Amino acid sequence: MLEINNITKVYTKGGDKFTALDNVSLKVEKGEFVAVVGPSGSGKSTLLHTIGGLIHPDSGQVLYRGSDVYKMSNQEVNRYRRQYVGFVFQQFHLMPYLTVLENIQIAKVETESKNGKIEELMGKCALLPLKNKYPSELSVGEKQRTAFIRAIISKPEILLADEPTGNLDPENSKILMSLIEDFHQSGGTVLLVSHEVESANYANRKVTLKEGRLITNNISSTLTDNNRSGFFS
Amino acid sequence: MNPFKLVIKELFYRKVSSLVILITVIAASTVSVAIYTLSKASENETRKIMREQGLNLYIFPKGTNLIDFYSVNNTPTFPENYIDTLAESKTFDAVRHLTGILQLKYPNWTDPNGSSHQIVVMGYKDEAMQRFLSKQETMGFDVEKGTVHVGSLISVNIPEGEKFKITGHNGKQYEFEIAKRLEEGKGMLDQGVAFNLIDLQQILGMEGQINKIEALGCVCHDGRINNARNQVQNIFSDLEVTEISSIADARENQRLMMNKYGSFIIPFILIVSMLISALLFYSNVNSRRYEIGILKAMGKSKTFILFIILLKALLLGFLGSVVGFFAGSFIAEYFGKEIFRFTAMAIKPLWSLLGFSVLIFPVLWMLSSWIPALAATQIDAAKTLGKE
Repeated sequence: MLEINNITKVYTKGGDKFTALDNVSLKVEKGEFVAVVGPSGSGKSTLLHTIGGLIHPDSGQVLYRGSDVYKMSNQEVNRYRRQYVGFVFQQFHLMPYLTVLENIQIAKVETESKNGKIEELMGKCALLPLKNKYPSELSVGEKQRTAFIRAIISKPEILLADEPTGNLDPENSKILMSLIEDFHQSGGTVLLVSHEVESANYANRKVTLKEGRLITNNISSTLTDNNRSGFFS
Repeated sequence: MNPFKLVIKELFYRKVSSLVILITVIAASTVSVAIYTLSKASENETRKIMREQGLNLYIFPKGTNLIDFYSVNNTPTFPENYIDTLAESKTFDAVRHLTGILQLKYPNWTDPNGSSHQIVVMGYKDEAMQRFLSKQETMGFDVEKGTVHVGSLISVNIPEGEKFKITGHNGKQYEFEIAKRLEEGKGMLDQGVAFNLIDLQQILGMEGQINKIEALGCVCHDGRINNARNQVQNIFSDLEVTEISSIADARENQRLMMNKYGSFIIPFILIVSMLISALLFYSNVNSRRYEIGILKAMGKSKTFILFIILLKALLLGFLGSVVGFFAGSFIAEYFGKEIFRFTAMAIKPLWSLLGFSVLIFPVLWMLSSWIPALAATQIDAAKTLGKE
């Protein structure tokens, strides 16, 4: 479904060149849960953003269902991001002036089902009583769950999660990872960037990046099934 | 989600910056409306003041000796119906307030005390209504038939309640009600009498004749006098036109004064306010980098991002223009009363300006937000959202 071929991305800062991705290739099948791990500055986030159509690589291809994302028209890229990809970031990036419900509504593509689906997901994520609250009134866990629903409300095929538990305590991390796992179990494809072993262990494949190079690409033997609460079952 | 709702919620969330932008629109529209309203009031005031100074164009037969003309020696006459022809002409629009005059010296007027005086007699035809031009308030002398206006020096010799008596060309005695005793300072008319034209023509036996037309020249791009002369001579090649340039210049300068101020101050205030707003919009876009980044990550197009910034500018421009219109009109009315003696009470909101303001200010403020809006579309979502 997703094929990354020989992606290279070099950043230049003050005359110095920094290779964030160096000839990286990766294939992700539909329904896979892939954890991208590696030390800081290894290019994990750059890889995720490149897959999400946010960073134009210097060379290489990102093929989604055979189409090169970076050869798509602006409209097509927007549609790719709107319908097929959902992002969850470490900093939740909620609109501070929108309520929980509105923060989710803003990402919703189809309007005909009104708020039924949103409220169902909010109920599963224990956010329904908070639907009219503003981000400033939420805990970090609640914020991240809101950001998570916003990412999946348009039923994307791929969820790109960039250190989603980075700001959460262990309990909230577990809840969020369960939600991500449920998304995966319901047929979604997940690419997760994480420093945390516990989070990465949810994946059925781990790829390791170091200094912009892919150094391992393994099926995980430690796929766990604990803490799955069946939110999306 | 409706972008309108998104913009409204953002406006209320960032109250201070929204308010500051709104204040710049209000300031610009207030100043513009106030100056424009005052300039219109100034034009009216000028018109009233200049009315007191009289008409500035003289039309008379070609070949008239100007020394005789200004000395009121007997100068050639021409038919008074020339005025009607001019007033009926579709192309004759450079001259207004056409007033036919018969002006002569009357050598031996005897006052009630029996003393003889040389006086000036002036017969005024009612001001001609120009058929193809808008109606205007009459400017010249308006003397009712059967009455006279007597100059200050003449009126000294006529006791209150007495009629004005004068002997006609046929030796017949004519009597007139004194409708007005003119104040000192009317020039030659201080020692003169103003009649209705028909009455004077009868007295002098000069029916249907006048020897000058007094009028008001327009402010024309190709020159007041040239334009007026060309238009008059296209119809009557036997007429000449001259101008009292001091009155004409004063009138024109007065009229243009406020326009000149307005044409400098309004663009200046607009440009400064728009620049301030542009900076405020830019700062607003900067503080919304994450929001814009996330909108991009969610697949919102550049057009959508451009739209929400411009919509905000449009809403603030609209609201500011309405508030500014009322504030500007109030200021114009308040200060206008202090500035203008004659037209103070006539200063009212110019409602046509409201329509103009609500169209122009939103467009101007959308223009001022254009570069910040373009900058917003260029925000790199990956860089912005990837920051920790």
